[in-house]
Amino acid sequence: MLAQVVLGLATAVGGLAYGLFLGGFSRKMIARIHGRIGPPVTQNYVDLLKLFVKRTSIEHGTMFWLAPMFRITGGLGVLFLVPLIVGRVAVVNFSFAGDLLLVIYFMFFGCLGMALGAGNSGHPHAVMAVTRGLAQMSSYELSFSVVILILAAGLGTLSIDGIVAAQQGGIGHWNMVRYPFATLAAMIAFLGMMMAYPFSVVIAPQEIPIGPPTEYSSRFLSLMMAGRTVFGVAKLLLYMNLFFGGAANWVDFFVKTFLLYMYPIFVSTVFPRFRVEQSVRFFILVPTAIAAIDLIRIMVL
Amino acid sequence: MRTDPQKTVRLFFGPQHPGVTGNMSVELWVEGDEVTKGISRVGYLHRGFEKLMERRLWIQNFPLVCRMCVPETDVNEACYAEALELLAGIDVPVRARWLRALVLELARLGVNLMSLGGQGGTIGLGTAAQWGITYRDFVLDLLEELSGGRIYHMFILPGGVRRDIPSGFFSRVETVLETIEERLPEFDRLLFDNAVFQTRTQGIGVIRPEWVDELGLVGPMARACGFARDVRQDDAYEIYDQLAFDVVTETGGDIFARALVRRRDIALSIDLIRQIMKRTPDGPVAVQLPNLTRWRIPAGEVYAKVESSRGEYGYYVVSDGGLRPRRVHVRGPSYVHGVTLLERMLVGTNIADVSNLMVSLTICPPEIDR
Repeated sequence: MLAQVVLGLATAVGGLAYGLFLGGFSRKMIARIHGRIGPPVTQNYVDLLKLFVKRTSIEHGTMFWLAPMFRITGGLGVLFLVPLIVGRVAVVNFSFAGDLLLVIYFMFFGCLGMALGAGNSGHPHAVMAVTRGLAQMSSYELSFSVVILILAAGLGTLSIDGIVAAQQGGIGHWNMVRYPFATLAAMIAFLGMMMAYPFSVVIAPQEIPIGPPTEYSSRFLSLMMAGRTVFGVAKLLLYMNLFFGGAANWVDFFVKTFLLYMYPIFVSTVFPRFRVEQSVRFFILVPTAIAAIDLIRIMVL
Repeated sequence: MRTDPQKTVRLFFGPQHPGVTGNMSVELWVEGDEVTKGISRVGYLHRGFEKLMERRLWIQNFPLVCRMCVPETDVNEACYAEALELLAGIDVPVRARWLRALVLELARLGVNLMSLGGQGGTIGLGTAAQWGITYRDFVLDLLEELSGGRIYHMFILPGGVRRDIPSGFFSRVETVLETIEERLPEFDRLLFDNAVFQTRTQGIGVIRPEWVDELGLVGPMARACGFARDVRQDDAYEIYDQLAFDVVTETGGDIFARALVRRRDIALSIDLIRQIMKRTPDGPVAVQLPNLTRWRIPAGEVYAKVESSRGEYGYYVVSDGGLRPRRVHVRGPSYVHGVTLLERMLVGTNIADVSNLMVSLTICPPEIDR
């Protein structure tokens, strides 16, 4: 048990460090596309530490302070339940039968907790962002739920470990190949999950700057940043395991998660933002319809 | 208009807001995502430009007038210089008039590149915003070489221009124009061919044609509604009557149409700059002015106007024959666009489109505050 706790802590710290690196790298990459030099790759580490040691003088009640904790808890919950490397007991984490449902719950938990806290700040931008975020989350979760149904029905399991195990034996066994439409739908939903453009309606600087974290500062903003980073890494791991065969080794792990992370970054640089209702309508119609093709295929065949 | 306090949220959109155009604020009454009422709040930049001018010597106002609009400073210099020349009866050398037109077109090119990029930036397309700023920087390099300043040039002075162009300047202008032209197709694909950009701008922020005369709309706001109004042709100044060009118009009246007008204005400015470079004659670039500390301008009043990137821009100057202006009044298009028009258009707008709308009207708050 102690060993598992230590491994869990290592996963959390490692996930945060890796996520901060990816964030720093993406800032550099975006800057280069813009034609700028951009901040150093290590800037996110510096920002996190700098914010953490700053004092705060804002008071918005207990829920407000707890929101970053909810966010981090949600991110860690997902991270702990998703295996890192296939078949290695040391890094399989706390995966168990039916954990996929718990992962979805944790994803909602983190966002809802943050919504409660940010809403408690009383700032109209934060409240508007919460409304936007929940509307959009419900819409992309619809298509993602259809995708989960397809995987569960097709592979006969709701365990992430089981889903990864079913994909071993080469690229031909990956769910990406087995269920291409479901994967495509999930990849569209992934843009919403990562709050990437054109679906970045929650943190929309030119509209409601900058949404839920408007009133947050100092160590609470630092924790919010850490939570978002851990959440990001957890989603990468989840997608890698659900659709791309998991990671057979660390090289596999880093290549797949890196490429997955870069996908919303590149999409973000060439698209502006949808309006909320456009985004919701898009998620309800497009990825859900695409996923339905595989659902029908499974049910008929 | 009455608003229901139970349903309405009052939002202060600015002055500390990334989506607002400069130092101004818009107070919004919002129900859900829909704006039910909006009021422009200005005054954050009020330095009393017009009153200050009455206390300074005629020539001392030159460093002041260019600060009236930061993105496009030269139109202020041109208006003020022309007003002084009309009052004092100064005949500007021909070469100086061509060089003034060159500077005005370079400034127009720069500001249109920036505002077009900014149009993408307001809806989150940061790549377009950064590219627009970069292309504008190429133009600013030229203006810096010419005048020593990137933003405030003070190049156009009464009686001509401050100095002649440096050796080889035209070839460097040509290089910049070619660079911009080379990159614009990619910029067009990113912006105008972008399905999301089209969704966010087509049919949004529509100016009805009947508003143009009712409110006195000018520049891209009028031209995007099909009105071919351009001071460069309607009441040609400097050497514009000797240049061949058609006024750019579109018919949609929406944000997309206004962006398209600016994009075509960029192409037009490039063409005009090339025409100017080909035809600029040799000769003196300024006339000798009297002792500037004792320069008395004959009594009279005059209205001088030019076409800025935002439309007709005018200076009404009154002299009582003294060392200083008796009265200077600046007619910047932003007053109508940023107050009267904006307040009307905000009603019924989605909160997500407020910034989008404001940038499409290219509001320059100091013009309102002046």
